[in-house]
Amino acid sequence: MKDLAADLARRRDAARAMGGEDAVARQHAAGKLTVRERIDLLFDAGTFTELGVHATHAGISPDMAGKTTPADGVITGFGAIGGRLASVIAYDFTVMAGSMGKTAEVKCNRAREIAYGKRMPMIWLIDSAGARIQEAIGSRNFAGSGLLFREESIMSGVVPQVAAMMGPGAAGTAYIPALADFVPMVKGTSHMALGGPPLVKAVVGEDISAEDLGGSKVHCEISGVGDLEVADDRECLAAIKTYLSYFPSNNTERPPAVACQDPAERRDEELLSIVPDNPRRAYDVKKVVRGVVDRDSFFEIKPGFAKNIVVGLARLAGMPVGVVANQPMVLGGALDNDAADKAARFILLCDAFNIPLVFLQDVPGFMVGSKVERAGIIRHGAKMLYAVSEATVPKLTVVIRKAYGAGYFVMCGRGYEPDLIVVWPTAEISVMGPEGGTNIIFRKEIASASNPDEERARRVAEFRKLIDPYVAAGAALVDDVIDPRETRPTLIRALLMAQTKVVQRPWKKHGVMPV
Amino acid sequence: MPEEIRAHITGVVFQIPTKPGDKVGAGDAVIVLESMKMEIPVEAPRAGAVKEIRVQEGQTVQEGDVVAILE
Repeated sequence: MKDLAADLARRRDAARAMGGEDAVARQHAAGKLTVRERIDLLFDAGTFTELGVHATHAGISPDMAGKTTPADGVITGFGAIGGRLASVIAYDFTVMAGSMGKTAEVKCNRAREIAYGKRMPMIWLIDSAGARIQEAIGSRNFAGSGLLFREESIMSGVVPQVAAMMGPGAAGTAYIPALADFVPMVKGTSHMALGGPPLVKAVVGEDISAEDLGGSKVHCEISGVGDLEVADDRECLAAIKTYLSYFPSNNTERPPAVACQDPAERRDEELLSIVPDNPRRAYDVKKVVRGVVDRDSFFEIKPGFAKNIVVGLARLAGMPVGVVANQPMVLGGALDNDAADKAARFILLCDAFNIPLVFLQDVPGFMVGSKVERAGIIRHGAKMLYAVSEATVPKLTVVIRKAYGAGYFVMCGRGYEPDLIVVWPTAEISVMGPEGGTNIIFRKEIASASNPDEERARRVAEFRKLIDPYVAAGAALVDDVIDPRETRPTLIRALLMAQTKVVQRPWKKHGVMPV
Repeated sequence: MPEEIRAHITGVVFQIPTKPGDKVGAGDAVIVLESMKMEIPVEAPRAGAVKEIRVQEGQTVQEGDVVAILE
């Protein structure tokens, strides 16, 4: 037995050497950690159990004869992150560029089965050239493949799914992040595209680098596939841990509350001076968010994409919440296609995992004009209506300033079942703004007046009186008008009140979501 | 290297707080548009000097139109 144990130890050591010293040196020279260093940083010390360390390639390709592929190029297993179990699939770029072999797929299926069957988060660390062509070529090998995306879709909303881009993610592999909930991307080393530069050149004749085609900037600022651009591997792994800290292990649990040092009754004086007196002037809504939520608890998602809306996870008195806030600094806070997509997806995410939603409204409405209409703003805007309507988690709404038109609806206005809706004294709830409304309703009166400008100003002033916050409060259509400094204590009390919320909906298989 | 500054939203030029020759920092408003009932600054993408202003107050600009040149 002693000899056999020694043989086992030798085999394990060989697998743990990954693709060999040279390949490991190249991985480090590229600014990347090895897959085993990543695993060590991701999981709580001493908690990781590896599965399939003896795996090697399937031996079905003549090109692979005589080669060994330690662990078949992917590390799988489970361990604790912040004390709670998660399953992992981590590609090893030092073994045949992290290509996905047939044996590797067996291991991945096993890891997903653990996450799904035992209801714990699934994490992918992607650093892979894609399918291992040598083993995937021919219909006999390919026709039965692809089930991972079906399984990932079925797992969606059951367990949290994170796909971290820590190297390439080529071809079909790019659908792993597309179907995941959270996709951090390492700046400089990660990229993803359905077709890499050589394929693009061959098929459409375009010359483009991997970075320009699908680097972190492209996906975190333009396409919206990426959720967070991070500086390096360490920051990426830290972001995964932070993200998961707001989530329950699965959709049957409540999100974990933490001890909170920040007093629930804290009134931030700065909240009195953030919003300018001139309603046409912008301000940074993130200052409002930070003034309201627990100190240092705000974790923004997609900060570089559709910046006219701000979404992110935060805590109120230690309880996780999802924040959706209009950003007047960008496009005046007007909603466009990308903003509606970003917000709708975030609302679905929070609702799936029982995370209450806080809406901070200052929205002049949806963008108008031929460009956005042709791009389908009606269809995209409807996603947000749909997501807010479907959400059964506690919903709390604060109207900071403008609540115009459909913008008021999608940001959880009174008709969308907020458990609390309060407004600041600066609030204007209206089908449209005073200037626009006056120009339409009193067009003839203004045109025929002896002094049209004076008449318009008079009518605008009259209009403003109709949308004063005390009009809505007087009709009891909002729950209260609050001092901005009261926002935090008010939201915390409402959140505690809404913990026992029950929503009964008619049975349906699923709705027909506008996509 | 001169750089074109483009409007990122369709609107009316509300204010032009800079003139050719002015030094601006990254994020400074080169012109201010009025759109969606808001004053929306068109910002300098980097520090530099304003070489040319291509619009006038009250003029309507489309998204993507060049409004100024930065040197």
